Amino acid sequence: MDDMMELLEDFLVEAFEMIEEMDQDLIELENNPDDLDLVNKIFRVAHTIKGSGSFLNFDKLTRLTHHMEAVLDKARKGELRITPEIMDVILESVDAMKAILEYIRDNGNDEAPEVDIEPIVKKLDAIVNGEGVGSSSEEKEEKKESKKIGNLNLDEITVDNIDDIDVSQLSPEELDAVLERLVEDINTPPEEEEKEEKKEEEEKKEEKEEKKEVTPADKKEVAKAAETKPVSKEEAKQKVKKQLINAKEQTIRVDVKRLDQLMNLIGELVLAKNRLIKIYNDVEERYEGEKFLEELNQVVSSISIVTTDLQIAVMKIRMLPIGKVFNKFPRLVRDLARELGKKVRLIIEGEDTELDKSIIEEIGDPLVHMIRNAIDHGIEPPEERKAKGKPEEGTIWLRAYNEGNMIVIEIKDDGRGIDPEAIKKKAIEKGIITPQEAENMSDKEAFMLIFKPGFSTAEKVTSVSGRGVGMDVVKTNIEKLNGIIEVDSVPGKGTTFKLKIPLTLAIIQALLVASQEDLFAVPLSNVIETVRIVEEDIYTIEGKSVLKLRDEVLPLVNMADVFEIEKILEPEKYLYVVILGLGATKIGLIVDRFIGQEEIVIKSLGEFLKGLPGIAGATIRGDGRVTLIVDVASLMKLAKETHNKKLVTDSLKEAKKKKEKPEDYVVMIVDDSAMDRKIMRQALEPLGVQIVEAKDGIEALNLLKQNDVDAMLIDIEMPRMDGYTLAQEIRKYNKFRKLPLIAVTSRATKADRVRGVEVGMNEYITKPYTKEYLQNVVRRNLGL
Amino acid sequence: MGLGDIVKQQQKALTEPQEKQTEEIVQLVGFVVGEEEFAVPILSIQEIIKPIEWTRVPFVPDYVLGVFNLRGNVLPLIDLRKKFKVPAADIDENTRFIVMKIKGEDVAFVIDRLTSAIRIPKKNILPPPDTYSNEDDIIEGVGRLDDGRIITILKVDNLIKREEIVPEK
Repeated sequence: MDDMMELLEDFLVEAFEMIEEMDQDLIELENNPDDLDLVNKIFRVAHTIKGSGSFLNFDKLTRLTHHMEAVLDKARKGELRITPEIMDVILESVDAMKAILEYIRDNGNDEAPEVDIEPIVKKLDAIVNGEGVGSSSEEKEEKKESKKIGNLNLDEITVDNIDDIDVSQLSPEELDAVLERLVEDINTPPEEEEKEEKKEEEEKKEEKEEKKEVTPADKKEVAKAAETKPVSKEEAKQKVKKQLINAKEQTIRVDVKRLDQLMNLIGELVLAKNRLIKIYNDVEERYEGEKFLEELNQVVSSISIVTTDLQIAVMKIRMLPIGKVFNKFPRLVRDLARELGKKVRLIIEGEDTELDKSIIEEIGDPLVHMIRNAIDHGIEPPEERKAKGKPEEGTIWLRAYNEGNMIVIEIKDDGRGIDPEAIKKKAIEKGIITPQEAENMSDKEAFMLIFKPGFSTAEKVTSVSGRGVGMDVVKTNIEKLNGIIEVDSVPGKGTTFKLKIPLTLAIIQALLVASQEDLFAVPLSNVIETVRIVEEDIYTIEGKSVLKLRDEVLPLVNMADVFEIEKILEPEKYLYVVILGLGATKIGLIVDRFIGQEEIVIKSLGEFLKGLPGIAGATIRGDGRVTLIVDVASLMKLAKETHNKKLVTDSLKEAKKKKEKPEDYVVMIVDDSAMDRKIMRQALEPLGVQIVEAKDGIEALNLLKQNDVDAMLIDIEMPRMDGYTLAQEIRKYNKFRKLPLIAVTSRATKADRVRGVEVGMNEYITKPYTKEYLQNVVRRNLGL
Repeated sequence: MGLGDIVKQQQKALTEPQEKQTEEIVQLVGFVVGEEEFAVPILSIQEIIKPIEWTRVPFVPDYVLGVFNLRGNVLPLIDLRKKFKVPAADIDENTRFIVMKIKGEDVAFVIDRLTSAIRIPKKNILPPPDTYSNEDDIIEGVGRLDDGRIITILKVDNLIKREEIVPEK
């Protein structure tokens, strides 16, 4: 029973794969009705499905495919020319075949009550009989049977198409017959084939009889005797056999779960690699110039390269050519164009471009929508095109190519294009934007309006598109894949849609940013650019903060406001902005620091925390710390809310604490000697600043966390934690990044000073010093 | 009868007489949060570690401190002081993270210090008195130890709930 199920499963997988290919071929056939190779290919599909179908007792399917085969058989013999009308019937029968196969997949039998094959069978018969050669075709069928072994038609087998034959499914006799046939094919020059066919057939039968009686020992002699021939049959047979076996061993089917597991393991490896690089950097700092560093560097680099290669290799296993999706479009375009009375040519490029399997599964629907739209709204009816001086036949280009870590899918038409003013007018009518907003809008921004829910540009609603949901769905689907949509259009000339989608979803490139003291990883695929601005670049339009960037006006929010992070850092002169893009939307996100780009592995936050707004998951960094990964789609939603209620300029003021008088400033003195502390205190008191004292590094660190300190005077030699270590510890905190640290010490060698600079000291004062000198240094560092 | 049933039956045969002979003993691990001593069943504890650095997470109640990395896994960290509304305290050398399995997921809890492993007869565990505030149903019962200590035994599974942590969309 299980064997049977397995067989059925294999049959279905194979059948659907073949049908997908066939669809493509059929359309091509309509354009090149004389291409016999194509007809042969299609014939074989119908034939194979018929063969396997009858073996599995699918009578309805067998009956249908049998009649299809009859028509195609005539076509491949050149007795029938494929006209569009005949093609319609053939396509109809392919659809019926698909429907039956789907029914089999879902129900395990081919009853398929909703599929009525009788009218189709009649039509197919009519085509066969229409030419008045019904009897002769049957004769041929019989003749063919004689050359058939099992499900195989020996006539069809040539060296060129041996890959189509599943050797593992053949019985020894069948394999023998196939091999014989191939040897013939190799030894027979193509022109002579036809003449010799009959003769050979007889010979072959004789030889077969003979062979059954030869023992292995005899075989050698036969081979010897045949040595005079250019290639002996045995040798040739062995060669072909090898070829066949090799060809078949080149692919295996693997459960996707196993690949996912492999990907997870590689994810761990990537994390370990990141960690190793981090450790190497630390070690390099500490042991600069040491010999072993070079060796370590080599090991780290090679592990790093191998890990990356390994990751790419596994990613590639999961990749499928996008042709898998593109294949169904020629049919779609043909049917739609016929239905709408338009002439459309579809040009497909880059169908070999590869994408992750999970993305391939998601990308189909949005593309269908966009192509339907292009045909329905974009391409004009032939008369209109003629009047405009365009060729009657419209063209749609479907193109895929790689761009960095993204794949770009371009859908371009040479139709009527989008009129930005018409779009704006419509959007105002529908209440999607206000007239003022429309005025400030660039053309590109106007095009994006078509992705707004409830927007439909078609004057009349057709069954094809213009139900006002299409483009909205496209946007949602692309956003799910963290992709970006771009639209460009010239009225009268055509429209281009660009979908940019990340190649894979498990390990991603990310931009690490800091908002206040918290780090976040932003998927690089959604980062359009990063810019540095000053506060004056921020405008307020209708109570909302926006950033003018070239010809665009982008909503601007502070990341700290979006994630409700307490503001402790004073804003600096320059603000750093990440321009995020998702689907058709762009926003500017103010962060406090750019950390850099890194390859990260996405990990779940677990059952209790997953699904937090704005957070997609977490990753473990090289230093072992956890960094949250931003969920761009969800962040965009949050940002929109924040944008509506908070001005960036207000938000920046929150962190600014007014410090005017010297009493507002706090200076901390860190020294283990009470005497030295007293000297410093006396020197500073005239300044009027507040003073805090600590006896060593550890105490200083604790006090620093509790007090708002503006500058520190640090002795180097102290018990528990010395001044260098203290400075190092302090600099680890983002909020103390700019805190002035002044070393006050009697250690005065150059090495000491260099060490001071290395650990992050701003100034270096050697004892003894004058009161005035200390005051000046402190005043300068406080900005008094 | 399936193999599982047979195994169960044998297990029952092995354990039952013992249970009858000796009274049922519960094994717990005791720890202090604020002024009070709590305990959880020893079997619900995955491991106990010294505090390590964690990462804050937005939009969660204050008792969720964030997440941290435990050997490549990202675990949530819950502050039991904040959860029990006890005034906050600094992390010191006695502070520990207790990692427990809750509904199949590892979750870590911050406690002030460990006390001891506790063996207590089941009969010495009483239901929580009415005076206890037990709205969340997080208290299993109250145990009296031989030395007179009173411990509050927690219902591990109820210590955190997803619906209290992640806001509804």
